Amino acid sequence: MKQIALYGKGGIGKSTTSANLSAALSQAGHNILQIGCDPKRDSTRMLMQGKLIPTVMDQVRERGAPGVTPADVVYTGFNGVRCVEAGGPEPGVGCAGRGIIATFQLLEKFGTLTGDVIVYDVLGDVVCGGFAMPMREGYAQEVYLVTSGELMSLYAANNICKAIERLSARPKSRCRLAGVICNAKNQPQEEDLVAEFARRVNSHLVQFIPRDRVVQLAELNRKTVIEYEPASAQAQVYRDLAVRVMENTRFTIPTPLEIDDLEALAIEFM
Amino acid sequence: MTTHVRDAITVVHGPQGCTHHNFSLLHATSLDNDRIALPTLVSTGLSETDVVFGGEGALDRTLDLVIARSPGAVFVLSTCIVETIGDDVGMVCGSRTGVPVIMVPTAGFLGGSFQAGVNNALTALAGMAQPAEGNGRVNIIGEKNLEYEIDENFAEVSRLLALLGLFVNIRFVHDLATDNIASLGAARLNVLRDPSLIPVGEYLKERFGTPYIPAYPVGITGPVAFLESVAGACDIDSRRAVDEEQALRRETLDDFADLAGAGISFAPLTPDPEGSRAAQDIAQALRLDITPSGCPVPVPVTPPIGITGVRRLLHRWRRALHA
Repeated sequence: MKQIALYGKGGIGKSTTSANLSAALSQAGHNILQIGCDPKRDSTRMLMQGKLIPTVMDQVRERGAPGVTPADVVYTGFNGVRCVEAGGPEPGVGCAGRGIIATFQLLEKFGTLTGDVIVYDVLGDVVCGGFAMPMREGYAQEVYLVTSGELMSLYAANNICKAIERLSARPKSRCRLAGVICNAKNQPQEEDLVAEFARRVNSHLVQFIPRDRVVQLAELNRKTVIEYEPASAQAQVYRDLAVRVMENTRFTIPTPLEIDDLEALAIEFM
Repeated sequence: MTTHVRDAITVVHGPQGCTHHNFSLLHATSLDNDRIALPTLVSTGLSETDVVFGGEGALDRTLDLVIARSPGAVFVLSTCIVETIGDDVGMVCGSRTGVPVIMVPTAGFLGGSFQAGVNNALTALAGMAQPAEGNGRVNIIGEKNLEYEIDENFAEVSRLLALLGLFVNIRFVHDLATDNIASLGAARLNVLRDPSLIPVGEYLKERFGTPYIPAYPVGITGPVAFLESVAGACDIDSRRAVDEEQALRRETLDDFADLAGAGISFAPLTPDPEGSRAAQDIAQALRLDITPSGCPVPVPVTPPIGITGVRRLLHRWRRALHA
């Protein structure tokens, strides 16, 4: 069973990429489980025809943990992809990180964590211990960073490298950086810049995803590009990504950069 | 300590365990003083779900239940977990009208010791009092409610004050009614249990202009010094009181004169310099011989307060020497 996690700056395209990746992987014949780890609970929406599925934490709050069953939290969407949303508190209160920990404990108890590939789609930056849960022992072993060529999204990706570096130092840890995915903003030399960033943090660029209007169109139609426009060039990009993810063997411990080095890198590709 | 405000209810905002262990401790130490106390402590009983989604709702519901019992005041104590997740306890307390709902910040991980928590609580409670017209009496500040000899020590201090014609205003906080808090600022003098309460003493001085004596009278030399400090602060002639106390001191030394010349040694449980010093002073006054081979006699963990404290200690020494 392969377990992968996608991390990256908020709004960079993790959920879009995860959903399309899951869709592509399922079409290639794999049994897929996608788990949204974000109190915004919108990771799996494009796989569920626009429906926001009930979240694990809401179910726990309403029924109490003993009253929740797997059927309450696992929903089947496009092409058989199974979907789970961890959920969490409203903005401004509570502790979303603890919600992620509680969700994982429940899914373990249910024996839900099965399939050919589990895709963990994790919110924005790694803000606290709870959001590093997918990287803990027994969960995701392969972490993909989603970034554009913008300095701030590279900075966020670099920050996540620090978490991966720290966690992979633990004796029993098998969590590694599997690669960098560039979700482009169509800047000049963007692919080269991100490829060079990946190299400098001791990894590699796994896929360059061009910015394409069809992604927004698909989203407005509440579908992944794979479902909405399967014959498009963009759909093929996601299928290529799926192949590369399945065939990837380059897993490393990242070497995070200092902010000065990041800025120098960005300037090089101006 | 807030549970010693008789008609008030203390809410601990956090999981049950935080309340339980305090309840147990207060109940058990009360039994030592021959009192059955069921401290009025209520937990908001936070569960994991409350932690994830925020605990303010649980606090609100608990306040509803508690206020329905018409207490004189409600004290809300915070715990580590609610400060970690950022529950706005102050806001929830402040949104209540009618009965005073006072927040006391007591989350341990934010630093500060047990004593800091006690001082914070005393200061928060003092905030319930307004400056008042003087009544010429003396407050006792910061008694150790968990102390075995709390009432004996209080009786001793009351006795010494009475020698100077002074009377106790309120015990802040021991078995206190909410209504009595209002007279806190009317006292002419505050007596602090010990110097760790000086931050509270300073706060009260700033707020109400009340001077303070920083500690109870310790050991054989403490009482006369105490009388002189109190008399000085209140502009009273201390001579008659000091004469009476010195007579009492001589009488005590006479009562235990049979111990003179005995060899004793100290095996203190804690390296408390004040307690050791007090024991040495007493030994010297009785002409006891402190020698390594002497009979071991107890040095109390809290130094003896006043002449009655000294007498109790000497009874224990006599028992040890005669054993």
